[in-house]
Amino acid sequence: MAEVALRARGWVLDRRPAPKPFDFQVMPSELWMLVGAVDSGRRELIHSLAGLVEPQAGRLELFGHDVAQLGSRARAELHRQIGVVLEQPGLVPAWSVFENLALLVRYHRLVPGDAVEDYVVEFVESCRLPRALLTRLASDLSLLESQWIGLLRALVIRPRLLLVSTYLPQETLVAGYGVWTFFAEVVEPMGMAILVDAGPQALPIGAETRLLVMDEGTLLAAGQAAELAQHPDATVRRHVRLHHA
Amino acid sequence: MRVVTATTPARGWQSIESLGQTAIRLLRGVLEELDFLAVVLMSSGSMSRGEWPFLVRHAWQQIYFTAVRQAVLLAVVGLILGVLTAFPLIVFRIEDPHLLGRITNIMMYHQFSPILATLFVAGLSGAAITAELGELRANQAIDHLAAMGVNPYSFFVLPRLIGMVLSLPILVLWLNVGVTIGAAAMLNLYQQVPLTVFFRVCLAGLSRGSLALTGAMVVMQAIHVILVQTSSAFRVGAYVDIPRTLPGAFARSFVGCLVIALLFSLVRYG
Repeated sequence: MAEVALRARGWVLDRRPAPKPFDFQVMPSELWMLVGAVDSGRRELIHSLAGLVEPQAGRLELFGHDVAQLGSRARAELHRQIGVVLEQPGLVPAWSVFENLALLVRYHRLVPGDAVEDYVVEFVESCRLPRALLTRLASDLSLLESQWIGLLRALVIRPRLLLVSTYLPQETLVAGYGVWTFFAEVVEPMGMAILVDAGPQALPIGAETRLLVMDEGTLLAAGQAAELAQHPDATVRRHVRLHHA
Repeated sequence: MRVVTATTPARGWQSIESLGQTAIRLLRGVLEELDFLAVVLMSSGSMSRGEWPFLVRHAWQQIYFTAVRQAVLLAVVGLILGVLTAFPLIVFRIEDPHLLGRITNIMMYHQFSPILATLFVAGLSGAAITAELGELRANQAIDHLAAMGVNPYSFFVLPRLIGMVLSLPILVLWLNVGVTIGAAAMLNLYQQVPLTVFFRVCLAGLSRGSLALTGAMVVMQAIHVILVQTSSAFRVGAYVDIPRTLPGAFARSFVGCLVIALLFSLVRYG
């Protein structure tokens, strides 16, 4: 049986009044999409799983390790296997795109020092993005370009878990190559677990799409869209329907 | 009349209370700074091998921007200060080279040069660090990297701390060189004090003990500047906070450096 990529138990987001605790888990190669109204807790959930904010309560397991039991070094070891895309692209503006992409590769010593350049260039080309982007300063990029580079920086470390807390770039830098194609051709073959708060129009939701429905800081339901469409709770059904539309 | 007698003690208590609150705030600020320093130093213990090249590169960049690029500016400022320092000595007709050397030592080497160097560093490099890290906080770059296993304290703060600790003594040295040359030239011109004699008496006043004390003071000032500027930057939540943070961080770092200079002067002369 495959090791669970992420498991949260008794998770209580840090908000007032305290929401109900909830459990969920994500297996490798699974893509889960967070749906819910504005301020339903989707963003806080991603941030708390990424270790950026503390939950009020709960235990988090990453790749079979209880995070609370780990020291700072071991925790950093786990976090280097996580790719994170937050609301803003979060690039270092004074650095070139290449330096931004190479930062984590060098920091985590994913490849020998003299192979970093080839590794990054090959990765960018495999993502079908223009190589000319690499020499540009991050501060000179458009918002769309920054979003793509932010996504690529999370993927360049070939993470085992990808947490996305933003609307994915809707437009593409290459004609006919949208974000969904990118996910299907590049991201999913990497075999990582993905938890994405991608907004209502970013990724298509089919009957088999796995959804986590959030409301008022807690998880209302989790499962495939087809099952949730029959859920007894009207709020759950509303969000599933909304996303079908 | 009754009102006056009733409110005077109350006002007195209010003053004491506000004084106490100010003292508590100051103490809390010092404790927060020490806590931040402890976190930064502890982060150095868990540095990965991949982080060392970044540490060396960023520390060198800090030294280059603070100590190398500002060297000429600081030397010129020192030269002007040396000239200004010499004028009162000329007006009071102090001609004894030993006394002149002692005054330069105590006034400039021990006190004003380090203070002026920290003023420059807090205003130029410190503000640049706050603005740069504040931007990285506001655009979530620090959050991204922290979530992906990068320790923000050892990656962003430690190199700047090391760079500043190495840079500030160099800047003080440049400033002192300028001060000595400026003062020597003026005293030579107006009071015919030979240049070599003045240089010799200035150097004679530099004992190992005084150099060690000045060095320790400058290192503490450098640490203080970096801790104030980086911790202020780490508290930035959005882009609009950056311009609001800059003046406060500058004022806090400079006032702190003055207090450090005061404490060291008390140790030295008290």
